[in-house]
Amino acid sequence: MTADPFAPHTAATTSGTAASAFGLTKVHGTGDARVTALDDVSITFRQGEFTAVMGPSGCGKSTLLHCAAGLDTPTSGSVRIGTTELGTLDDRELTRLRRDRIGFVFQAFNLLPTLTALENITLPSAIAGRRPDREWLDRVVSMVGLSGRLGHRPAQLSGGQQQRVAVARALASRPAIVFADEPTGNLDSRSGAEVLGFLRDSVRDLGQTVVMVTHDPAAAGYADRVVFLCDGRLVDEMTRPTPDRVLDRMKAFDTRSRTS
Amino acid sequence: MLRTALRNALAHKARSAMTVLAVCLGVAFVCGTLVFADSTAAAHRAAASKSFAGIALTVTAKPPLPGAAGPGPDVLDDALVRTLAAVPGVAAVRPTADGSATLNAADGTPLRAGKAWANLASAYVPGPDGKDGRHPLAEGRAPAGAGEVALDSGTAAAGRHRLGDTVTLATDGPALHKRLVGIVRTTDSRVTAGGTLAVFDKATAQQLFATPGHYTGIDLTAAPGTDQAELARRVTAVLPADRAEATTGAAQAAQQAGYVDTLTRGHEKLPMLFAGVSLFISSFLVVNTFTMLVGRRTREIALLRAIGATRRQVVRSVLLEAALVGLAASAAGFLLGLGIAAALPAALGTDQDALPRGPLVVGPLPVAAALAIGVGVTVLAAWLPSRRAARIAPVEALRSAEHQLPATGARTRVRTAAATALLALSAFLLIPLTRAEDASEENLRDAMAGCALLVAAAVVLTPLLAAPAIRGAGRLTRRLGITGRLAGQNALRDPRRTAATAATVLISTALVSGLATIGHSGALALDRQAAEGLAAEYVISTPTPTTAIDDATLRRVADTPGVRAAHGIADSTLFLGGGVRNIAGVDARTVDDAMRLDFTSGSAAGLGPGRIAVSATTARDHRLDTGSRITGRIGRGGPETAYTVVGVYRDNPTAGDALGARTEVQQHQFRPGTLQRILVRTDSGAAGIRSALHTAVGNSPLLKVQDRAELVREAAGVMGDLLTLMYGLLALGAAISALGIANTLAMSVAERTREIGVLRALGMDRAGIRRTIRLEAVTVAAYGTLPGLACGLCGAWAVGSLANGAVQQYAFRLPWGTLLLVCLAPLAVAAAAAAAPARRAAALRPLEAVAEQ
Repeated sequence: MTADPFAPHTAATTSGTAASAFGLTKVHGTGDARVTALDDVSITFRQGEFTAVMGPSGCGKSTLLHCAAGLDTPTSGSVRIGTTELGTLDDRELTRLRRDRIGFVFQAFNLLPTLTALENITLPSAIAGRRPDREWLDRVVSMVGLSGRLGHRPAQLSGGQQQRVAVARALASRPAIVFADEPTGNLDSRSGAEVLGFLRDSVRDLGQTVVMVTHDPAAAGYADRVVFLCDGRLVDEMTRPTPDRVLDRMKAFDTRSRTS
Repeated sequence: MLRTALRNALAHKARSAMTVLAVCLGVAFVCGTLVFADSTAAAHRAAASKSFAGIALTVTAKPPLPGAAGPGPDVLDDALVRTLAAVPGVAAVRPTADGSATLNAADGTPLRAGKAWANLASAYVPGPDGKDGRHPLAEGRAPAGAGEVALDSGTAAAGRHRLGDTVTLATDGPALHKRLVGIVRTTDSRVTAGGTLAVFDKATAQQLFATPGHYTGIDLTAAPGTDQAELARRVTAVLPADRAEATTGAAQAAQQAGYVDTLTRGHEKLPMLFAGVSLFISSFLVVNTFTMLVGRRTREIALLRAIGATRRQVVRSVLLEAALVGLAASAAGFLLGLGIAAALPAALGTDQDALPRGPLVVGPLPVAAALAIGVGVTVLAAWLPSRRAARIAPVEALRSAEHQLPATGARTRVRTAAATALLALSAFLLIPLTRAEDASEENLRDAMAGCALLVAAAVVLTPLLAAPAIRGAGRLTRRLGITGRLAGQNALRDPRRTAATAATVLISTALVSGLATIGHSGALALDRQAAEGLAAEYVISTPTPTTAIDDATLRRVADTPGVRAAHGIADSTLFLGGGVRNIAGVDARTVDDAMRLDFTSGSAAGLGPGRIAVSATTARDHRLDTGSRITGRIGRGGPETAYTVVGVYRDNPTAGDALGARTEVQQHQFRPGTLQRILVRTDSGAAGIRSALHTAVGNSPLLKVQDRAELVREAAGVMGDLLTLMYGLLALGAAISALGIANTLAMSVAERTREIGVLRALGMDRAGIRRTIRLEAVTVAAYGTLPGLACGLCGAWAVGSLANGAVQQYAFRLPWGTLLLVCLAPLAVAAAAAAAPARRAAALRPLEAVAEQ
């Protein structure tokens, strides 16, 4: 295994795996307050695939995303981004990995209020001290339809526009994988649909790998694959989902969890 | 409400601690100074009463009436001693022959010289047991004969004299050389507080300080149970009424304590000034802290209002919290003050000028001052934020906590108007001063007020200018990449807070840069001026006009190989129409060889009895010109004479205020017929002339031999105090600003937890986060430094012109090195102060910040 976390992600394409987790377990607290958020989860995210992680509240889907994205350290198990094993990285290397190879979209947008939309989009490359790839940037910006609003501050943008900025920020640095944590949670359905459309387009048109956590069956309908998480375990998987199928599956969950 | 206030003060321990620390510094300076003053005064009193403990009465000769010729202590002789011993109630009599003597240390330099009243000399007068109770011997034996001397242990140690050494000393005339045969102990506070004591045998002391067979005083000890007033009456009865008098020991002790107290009087000014400045700067920190706390608790306060708390209750809770913080600051400041008081004697006293040691005396005043200042300043400063808290509407409880009200247009206009008014007023006061001709009381007052207004205007303006200024600075920091960009933006986010933080930096920078510039310009002027008017290569001088150089010394100097000419100058005072000037008596024929005089009218050639030349300043003050006549007298005893002005010369310190004929000045001197200065012209290239001159004046500790460079250096020493003050203020300002900046940044980091988390998640490493916070601190500090510098220089420029009257050749000169230090110090301090908040920010884990949704 290569220990170089900074190799371009194209180096990992031979395997076709953008990221993978093996035996991932995460335990919060100790004693009576002990909660097992993830219980021996193994999963692979393939390149150029849009994966939705679903499950009822508290099933551990956000924890899975945080561990897979290197924001949180698992209690046991391993995570790879491309061929890089996250457990072998120190904070500095992990930080650079997040900067260069991972994109994030958060539920709360998390744009810096003092920077303009364009500055927010180019923030990762600014942190890295690189000039953004102008052509790519234009493509991303026009895809999310923000061309006219690049000089605005986040406070001057609507929620949907802010999340589009966040999506553009995640895509602008051409990461190996984009993690989106409930990206439509704070949006109305129309804005949410737009953002999901952009995420899907990025996968279809740009070959981006996207992992999205959501509890909304309609959102999951945009994905290529849906994995279901319950009580910290991976319980099911569905390819080419539609909202109806996902909803049915979730209902089954509910009845099962109610009956069990 | 008390419980709420207490909870709040405790909940923000770190923030409160910083406020406490800032206020506590000022309190500590005040308390320390007060305790120090009380303690030294008590130590002086204790020492003085100890040295007069056994003395009931002292009989001294009455000073001769003004005009009567010569001193006449010849009434105090052995016969009077015997008469006094026979007075009922007198237990013992001890005649004294006291005077002053200046000594050289073993290495030939004058020892603790310069204060005649602290360079004591006395006679060894053995009592019935053969020992002198006033000078108990510690080592060796009592001096006997004209060639021997004893010193007190402190003097001997300071001068590195050992038994058997030859000690060079001078009483008022030529240098004397005596063998050190004994070391005595003394309790005289004048000596122990940094003076010297030489003890001669009786005959020698009588000859030096009185006349042979006579004394300068007779100390009487009372028999037990004798009433002092009654004894005084009986003693006065036997004294020749018009020629001798009796003073009680208590009165003398009080007088001596007063004398010694003058030594320490000046020491209190500096710490008090520090206290004032630090309290002033601290008050900004208090305002800032409480504004931030109120801002942060907007929801909480709104909630209190929503559930029925009145505005007054809100104000009271904020003020109460301030009072608690102030109370803590008072207590801490008081303790720190005791530490300062204990350390001050060592810090302020020098080898030359030791301060007496004694227990710390803590009166009620320092305690009261600590409480009043600590609580008073904090509560007063918290008053504005408390009003702001009262204005919070209950509906705010429902709004977002992060939502902050921007300054409204009306407030901005009020601020602009206030700043403009202050600026105009300050300009109104300062601009006319640039044409001022002297440092009159009125001009000085205008200058002070003008500078204060200027700083006030700058402080009022800072919030308004923050946005454009920092945006400008942002252009620079942006070059440092995203960290610089973010730092600038964050500093801009709350301009008022940034401005209040920068205000502390602004004030201290203004003070220090102003002082530094005035000090530098003044020192340069003094440097240029010190040797101004001097044509001679060397100057031999006495410390005061009351000491003298005899003609024999002048002859020896003139005969020294390498000396071309030695010009004796007789100094005295000239009383002119209520003013006292100094006058130098010169020889009209040779004065041009000794001095370089630049006459605006007339010349030195006309000098003679009744004909004087005056400096330009003297001429201006007395409206004189060449040819005018003025009535005055030379010396205290001189006759009123109508003088004709024969010339007016540009001011120079060598000639002084006026020049007269030497023969005339010498008639009316303190010590008639003597010289006070010798200006020495040397042949060019004469080697070893300095040591030859030292030898010629007998290595007398009273006489200074200086060349031009040394004169300049001595003049520069005057600026030493200003330098101490300046660097003290710089350090103090930096310390308090550091607290303010650390405080603001800690608050700013706390508010931006989520943003920092986002940055970490997006890949900014810890070093980047730290750099951002540090740069933000530096930006804030820079924003305070630049207007501060501008204010300081403006003030120095305006006030400096006052010096034109007092100091010739004053010109506005910038001390580049110091100014650079003044600019860089706050930036460095800011970067250091940001260390803790920066570390806290960098330690944030990205998840903690982002996951809380």
